[in-house]
Amino acid sequence: MISLEHYLIVAAALFSLGLYGVLTRKNAINVLMSIELIFNSANINLIAFSRFVSGDTEGQVFALFVIVIAACEAAVALAIIMSLYRILKDVSLDEASVLKG
Amino acid sequence: MIEYVGVLMFLAAGALLAAAATTVSGLVAPHNPTREKLMPYECGENPVGSPWGVQFNIRFYVFVLVFLIFDVEAVMLVPWAVVLKELGTPALIAGFIFIGMLVLGLADVWRKGDLEWVREEERAALKTAPKNAKAA
Amino acid sequence: MERLDTISSLQYFVPEIVLVFTLMAVLVCDLVSKNRAPRERRLLIVIPSLIGLVVALSYSLQGSEAVSAGLFHNMVAFDGFGQMLRVIFIVTSIFVLLFTLHSNELRLVHHGELLVLLLTVTVALIWMANSINLLMIYLALETVSVASYVMVGYLKTDRLSNEASLKYILFGAVSTGTMLFGLSLLYGLTGSLDLFEIRSALSSQEVVASSGPALMVILVLVLAGIGFKMATVPFHFWCPDVYTGAPTPVTAFLSVGPKVAGFAVLIRFFYGGLASPSEDGASWAMVGSVDWQTMLMGISVITMTLGNVGALLQTNMKRLLAYSSIAHAGYIMMGAVVLSGEGIQAMLAYMIIYLFMNLGAFLVVIVVHNDVGSFDIKDYAGIWRRAPLLTIGMGILLFSLMGIPPFAGFLAKWYIFSVVIDAGLGWFAVIGGLNSAIGAFYYLKILKTMFIDGSDTPEPSTPLALQPLYAGLLLVLIVPNIIGLLLWGYLDRVTEFSQKLLDAM
Repeated sequence: MISLEHYLIVAAALFSLGLYGVLTRKNAINVLMSIELIFNSANINLIAFSRFVSGDTEGQVFALFVIVIAACEAAVALAIIMSLYRILKDVSLDEASVLKG
Repeated sequence: MIEYVGVLMFLAAGALLAAAATTVSGLVAPHNPTREKLMPYECGENPVGSPWGVQFNIRFYVFVLVFLIFDVEAVMLVPWAVVLKELGTPALIAGFIFIGMLVLGLADVWRKGDLEWVREEERAALKTAPKNAKAA
Repeated sequence: MERLDTISSLQYFVPEIVLVFTLMAVLVCDLVSKNRAPRERRLLIVIPSLIGLVVALSYSLQGSEAVSAGLFHNMVAFDGFGQMLRVIFIVTSIFVLLFTLHSNELRLVHHGELLVLLLTVTVALIWMANSINLLMIYLALETVSVASYVMVGYLKTDRLSNEASLKYILFGAVSTGTMLFGLSLLYGLTGSLDLFEIRSALSSQEVVASSGPALMVILVLVLAGIGFKMATVPFHFWCPDVYTGAPTPVTAFLSVGPKVAGFAVLIRFFYGGLASPSEDGASWAMVGSVDWQTMLMGISVITMTLGNVGALLQTNMKRLLAYSSIAHAGYIMMGAVVLSGEGIQAMLAYMIIYLFMNLGAFLVVIVVHNDVGSFDIKDYAGIWRRAPLLTIGMGILLFSLMGIPPFAGFLAKWYIFSVVIDAGLGWFAVIGGLNSAIGAFYYLKILKTMFIDGSDTPEPSTPLALQPLYAGLLLVLIVPNIIGLLLWGYLDRVTEFSQKLLDAM
């Protein structure tokens, strides 16, 4: 039988993978994908807790909102990456380095 | 678990039948290939390049983005529709305000010309300098 | 506290509704005026926005009755604290809206979407400051974030603006994602999304006993999201880059709006969910197993120190102001650690004064950039001879930011330090004082450049171009800094009102 712990372990693993990806990847699109992992790990948590701990649907509603927000954020991020690509012809984060100091 | 065995058997039988049909027709049918017959479309455009490395036009990107947003926003309407009867008129009004905002967003995209394949400004640019625009 | 349903909540929600309909109206005006002349079109969108903001402001100024209620089934709080912040946000938006009108950076782009985004952020900031439910906190925070990412990248053809926007969105998405993971764990630990139910769950002994280090992890994760909005260390890295790359009016907005809202969320989250008020409601005691007071204290000390030290090395005006705003976040945070109504009041007073001095400083940056075309501090040399009044104005703003006595900034600092000392944290106030001394260096460096440098060049000086609108705005922003002492009684009364109502929560 799958218990709460199993879900939490999957979620924690996804979160760690996402965070690792964000910190190590150089390509903006890859970073974006890692961020999606973080969001989805929280979603798994929310739904698992909603099922096993609180017993109401609050967590599931939260997860729905998270999906919507994540899509909006991804859309905006992609649009910005596209816009930067038009200027730089590259999506590597190393290129975006005029601002520093 | 046992009740799914029927499904499995059904799938297996289906696959077997389809495989048998293609094998038999392959063996029986006359085999006389010509260049025209081997093309994907006998009377269409000739395909160029490998089908695995298709380069999508960048213009699709805007459509995908617009679709993504509206698609996901529509998710919010599903739970709303399920409990609408219990919640009554206020929820109905609230839902329509939400849809109204989405429509406003769509109107914005439309009016800004993002739903056109070739935008107005670009079309104007094409008219003035057709050769340059094509090269670019 | 009263718990209201959707229909009866609407009467307390008028300014937000006005703003939402304004932003929709502005969008429609923008669409239907597409084929008109640019100047006419701009008027058609600026005027409705201004009218909407002013109407919303007049509504929010009225709400002074001593009501405190949980609107929409305890999603959004309505209390003095929130009403006060609502006024702050709307005033900030009005100023920023006027900033955008003659800014050279925004001269070549159409303002339509910028104003719609500005109004969106304003509404979302109000929600953010008033949310008392984890879902609502997250939703409002993300609305603010997503809209401000676009505002930062508004100059589509400008490399810096795009780069700043990309950094902002990647950093922001990671921070809010981390916070979301923390919120989901908190939901699992307490079984509720409502902050007051979380508080009562955390007050019970068995939850405290069984949670172990979980609550600590949760708080660290959640502070990532809130800290990102407040721009406190260690989530401040985006701040200098984004402030430099964004169009200056947007920078001015970011340095006040989301920062203040971040502190509001901090207060709502920690005082609402992780502390219980005393009988008289004038102070709070922590619940749960984590000493978050010390945590916030540490963040505050590191933030102001790093902000001030970082600012010392800057040669770009916007970068310097970014670091200065990080340092100010550290000072404001001091008010949050004392766990008393006085502390909240001191924070609010600081934020109001900070609004005036910081927006003023950024307006001077806009004015100088319009004429000189540069943000480098060395290009401020000799401004004194070209625009003496502007230089004196900037001097007042900088002295105020420094916290030199007759000006309002001193009052803000003095108040917050005295609250901290009253709470028995004298060493903390000493660190704040030392930091203010470091801060004086870089502010004085700007003043030296403006007044002294370049004054020996013999070339004839032309007066600096200053639009009448900006001159008027500068006057409005500078005067409160001068007469801060006279207004003190008024400010004290206003902010006290907000403190008292929060207690009823």
